[in-house]
Amino acid sequence: MDGFKAAFLNELFKLQKKKKIVATAVLSLLVVLVGQLAVSIVTFGFGLRLAGSMEFPFVVLSLLSYTLLPFFAAFVAIDAFCGEFSSNTMKLTLTRPVSRFGVYSAKVGMVGVFILANLLFVMVLALVAGFLFNPASEGILSIVKVLVAYLVTWLPIFVFALLVVVLANVLRNGTAVFFLAVLLFFTFYFFSIVFSRYSGFFITSSFDWYTLWIADVINWGKILRQLFILLGCGMMLFAAGYYLFERKDL
Amino acid sequence: MTKAIEIIGLTKVYKNGRGIHDLNLEIEQGDIFGFLGPNGAGKTTAMKIMTGLMKPDRGDVKIFGASVIDDYVNAMKHVGCIIETAEVYPYLTANDNLKIFARYYPHVDQRRIDECLELTGLLPYKHEKTRKFSLGMKQRLGLAAAILSKPRLLILDEPLNGLDVEGMLDMRKLIRRLAEEEGTTFFISSHLIHDVELTCTRIGVIYGGRLVSVAHMEDILANYASLENYFVSEVDRSGRI
Repeated sequence: MDGFKAAFLNELFKLQKKKKIVATAVLSLLVVLVGQLAVSIVTFGFGLRLAGSMEFPFVVLSLLSYTLLPFFAAFVAIDAFCGEFSSNTMKLTLTRPVSRFGVYSAKVGMVGVFILANLLFVMVLALVAGFLFNPASEGILSIVKVLVAYLVTWLPIFVFALLVVVLANVLRNGTAVFFLAVLLFFTFYFFSIVFSRYSGFFITSSFDWYTLWIADVINWGKILRQLFILLGCGMMLFAAGYYLFERKDL
Repeated sequence: MTKAIEIIGLTKVYKNGRGIHDLNLEIEQGDIFGFLGPNGAGKTTAMKIMTGLMKPDRGDVKIFGASVIDDYVNAMKHVGCIIETAEVYPYLTANDNLKIFARYYPHVDQRRIDECLELTGLLPYKHEKTRKFSLGMKQRLGLAAAILSKPRLLILDEPLNGLDVEGMLDMRKLIRRLAEEEGTTFFISSHLIHDVELTCTRIGVIYGGRLVSVAHMEDILANYASLENYFVSEVDRSGRI
């Protein structure tokens, strides 16, 4: 456990020292700004009300969860595995008194923390932008709904990141892993439309499952089914990634 | 007394047929063991298995009694190493690089980090990003990282790579000092045979993936003019067999 704690803190330390984290923050900020600009143009230019202060964070979330966030998560996952293998720095961690499971869990945990931090960062920005530019009186329940929507979005994005982790342990080349991840992303998206009955099994179709959580009448059966599918996929991908990581010779 | 290293029937064969075959070796605590062999003889493969970077096909390595295969965390608790090349995180400073490694050892604090930087002559560059370091400086930082936890065993693969003459002399002195004052055991592979002769107390020669001889330095020098002569003769003999 001590080894895992040290490895996890090290992963977070390395993440915050990289320039990618600044780029992520800037791009996330841009998503909110562009979203706000679009809403303002439509509102003031055409006289149509697109989003109130509490709808705006959902507009941003739908935009973010299908565009930048999965790709940021993929970048971070690829960097944590392929990046360290190719720069030979993986052996720096693996020759310390920590098990491979500890190192693997620490890296996956760091990816999870990154996704959560990115979601919360965008949520705060979107809430502030919503209050500043689209003022309307909203209750505490609306804020809770926004918080729930952003928090539950973490799970499908994290499961997608686990898929990228598996790919990063199959292929050594980070660029190849990234393009394969993009290809899978679009394939899953396409399949979830064509085979809509089975869309629950394609991870990308769950990126907007927060809509189930914020509906006026919550369908718990549907939520539970989706939750079990995501947890099942997550566990299988985590185990597959560990199996490959454990067997790797450096 | 527990052996520092016990290598038992270690075998690892690559697809091209090279690798190591049934390697058996024991290293006593306090030994400075020089591991010699021509290119491709299997030195790095053996060292990678000893440090858990590679899995053997058969056999085991025990470090102070703990198996690197079954009890890796305990086996590596008292080990510091440099394998192949001394790598560093280029986007971190020298100090931050060592801070990262220090987290694995509760007894290592900032004072110890400074001490290691001082010992390797890197204290003036403590806050510089290692991206701009020369190969020699990276090697020094790698050594600082290896000795950071005051390990009882140091496994060093080509530790003199990239070092200037002054660096080599410093490294030799440091190895001697750690062995004499702290009783540190060393397992060193190097192509610089003269340095091995001046530093090591026991020598093992590996050829074609098999350990062909193990001898004490004083016995070698009693029978041969130099370690180089001994090495050439052992390799030549094994090549003919």
